[in-house]
Amino acid sequence: MELSTVALGESVSIIGDLDPGLMKYFDYTRAPLRSPFDSNVVYQFETMEYILDYAFERIGVEGPKVDHPILITECVCNPVHSRSKMAELLFETYGIPSVAYGVDAAFSYKHNQKLGICDNDGLVVCSGFTTSHVIPILHGEPVFEASCRTNIGGYHVTDYMKQLLSLQYPYHVSSFAWEKVEHLKMEHCYIALDYASESQLFQKGAKETDEKVRYWQLPYRPPPVEEEPSEEELARKAAIKEKQGQRLREMAAAKRSSRITEFENELQGLEFLLQQLENVEDHEIPFFLSETGYVSKQEIESAVARVTQSLRKAKGEPVEVEEKTESPSSEKYPLINIPDHMLTPEQLKQKKRQIFIKTTSEGKLRAKQKKQEEELERERQNQQDEEKRLENPELYLEQLRAKQRELAQRVEQRKKLKTNGTRGNGTPVLSGNVGRGERLNAAQKERMRLLTTAAFDRGKGEDTFGIKDEDWQLYKLMSRDNDDNDEGPNEDEAELARVTAKLQEIDPTFVTLVEPSPPATGNGSETPHFRPLTAEDYRITLGIERFRCPEILFQPHIVGIDQAGLDEMVGISMRRLKPELLSHGENLCNSVLLTGGNCLFPGINERILTGIQKIRPFGSSIRVCRASDPLLDAWHGASMIAASPSFSEQVFSRQDYMEKGEEWLRKYQIRYTI
Amino acid sequence: MEPEVLDADILLPPVLPFKRVQMSDKYPKGANRGRQWKHLKHILQAENYQNYPPDEPNYVNIEAPPSIYPAKKFCDITGFETHYTDPKTKLRYVNTDVFKRIRYLPNDYVQRYLSIRNAAVVLK
Repeated sequence: MELSTVALGESVSIIGDLDPGLMKYFDYTRAPLRSPFDSNVVYQFETMEYILDYAFERIGVEGPKVDHPILITECVCNPVHSRSKMAELLFETYGIPSVAYGVDAAFSYKHNQKLGICDNDGLVVCSGFTTSHVIPILHGEPVFEASCRTNIGGYHVTDYMKQLLSLQYPYHVSSFAWEKVEHLKMEHCYIALDYASESQLFQKGAKETDEKVRYWQLPYRPPPVEEEPSEEELARKAAIKEKQGQRLREMAAAKRSSRITEFENELQGLEFLLQQLENVEDHEIPFFLSETGYVSKQEIESAVARVTQSLRKAKGEPVEVEEKTESPSSEKYPLINIPDHMLTPEQLKQKKRQIFIKTTSEGKLRAKQKKQEEELERERQNQQDEEKRLENPELYLEQLRAKQRELAQRVEQRKKLKTNGTRGNGTPVLSGNVGRGERLNAAQKERMRLLTTAAFDRGKGEDTFGIKDEDWQLYKLMSRDNDDNDEGPNEDEAELARVTAKLQEIDPTFVTLVEPSPPATGNGSETPHFRPLTAEDYRITLGIERFRCPEILFQPHIVGIDQAGLDEMVGISMRRLKPELLSHGENLCNSVLLTGGNCLFPGINERILTGIQKIRPFGSSIRVCRASDPLLDAWHGASMIAASPSFSEQVFSRQDYMEKGEEWLRKYQIRYTI
Repeated sequence: MEPEVLDADILLPPVLPFKRVQMSDKYPKGANRGRQWKHLKHILQAENYQNYPPDEPNYVNIEAPPSIYPAKKFCDITGFETHYTDPKTKLRYVNTDVFKRIRYLPNDYVQRYLSIRNAAVVLK
């Protein structure tokens, strides 16, 4: 039975193999592959109907109903519910006259019997997509009482392989799509004759394994490597830079000269104006000046001073700032020294302002001095360090490294404490709430104490918190973002940064300790890498997986399914045969047929052979053969039987279906001999 | 529909002549599809196999029993045969390198390895 896909939305149904070229027109991201099967039983008849629709339409059925008897394959011991629903579907919807059910494994055996591959009595080992069966055949008829089913099939092999590869190569999970893995399985997997010895080979790293390992290289584009620019490149780049620099310099010079000329012009104009003013009478000054935009003589003079200064700056002469700072301090604070009661209110105001300005400027001076001192101090220390280094490089290095380690530890510890204190169990902690079992550091204990005593424990009865303004200062003390908390570690961190930088300068072998990178064995590591991925990481290695995955057919406990494997099932099936029939079945093992898609693995013949040899008495004849076409032999066999003249007696018609009901359906069994 | 798709002729006509009841009538759009179908577990329960003689083969009868051979233990990561099991994660390993790798695995990888073997802790 094929799988069908149904894309929702426009309710389009697409059945069978997908042509990838056309599939891009449909959005099937939301709709997964749907199948009418659950294990090997049909349970979802809507999807079944789609498939049948497609089949009949492609065959070319016309007319108001499908007027042919149908022979349909089913699983071994199909539940009656499934059979009856299927019959209902066929009879009601399609108007089919008669239906017959049969087991696909038996059909396959009959076909191969006709071809002469197997005898009238034998065993068929059929390994399907979700299940595997072993059915003994006696006198040409399958004996279902003795048949055996294990719920392992091709689906499980592919699933196992997919999971293994996804876990081993977590970076390439997207390449391991189901269809791709199935393709890999079909091409590369084989069944080892003896799993233990094969895996020993791989474990020892023997040379034979080299041929057995297959590599799958995923497309990999190395990141563009920046080559060392050659000599010419460097020279060219240097020349270009120089030219640009020169151009910039020229532009700057041109600008400067234009500014200078501008200022000179302005200066000239202002001086001319001043000269003119001297000629003009006093009372006509405002009138005269209103045209030029200046209100008084002082303004013009201050403008002149300004322009001269900017001119001097543009010309590149040092500006005389210091003079200015000196003079204002003596000029501008004339009022300070005069005591209060001799001044008018206005003068008082001015005095206040002057005091303020004086204190701020003094403070600035002091800060500058302090900075200079600190710089001097640092310089001195650096020099001392250098001397120490030159004296005894080894010891110095050791000391520095030890210091760095200690600092790093301290910083980490503080960080851990901080995070432990704030988030003990990963949940966000509200202010004041500390989870049980967390280690409280001093600050938190303090906080708790403040909360419980100061805030909530005031006096009896009445809560007088908040009446006084000072009470609210409590929250300031409690605040997490308090500066006191952060000052300490900041110093440590700054120190750590400095020491690390120094170390990196001096010591060529120093590498900051990150978390220890785990060792990578075999096929890449699963934990985060600290080195860039190379082409190697894009190569998928199929070594032991090649025969490890199909091994689950013989040892289902590898995937946790607690049932017997294929070779053991043969023994179970033969034991289940009733003793009187068993005498006939001595030569059952003479013709063991392997069918089903799963038996296409290379090496399965020999494996089943050895498996049966372990069970049977020594020297019994065993012959294992594969069906001529494992995938389609069931259809060939079924068509053979359906074409035979006795087929028409086998089917049950609509009459029977209407009249007889479920009980009869339960007993229905087709006869496989023609 | 794009012309390519029409040419490829992969779509069925919405009305098929040989059907008595068309799909669109049987399963109207928007109705709760799929909920109505019984899964295999329920089908088997409804079969009531215990009312029938146990000799007759039915779906449950013919299932294979557990294997009589003791299970071999294989390393979860490499696949070699081993007898060592990590007590913390319950994964099987074969040598110290593999053990180191197991210990570095994040928890969800551990659970995935275990679930391959059907040994993962399932919380419901």
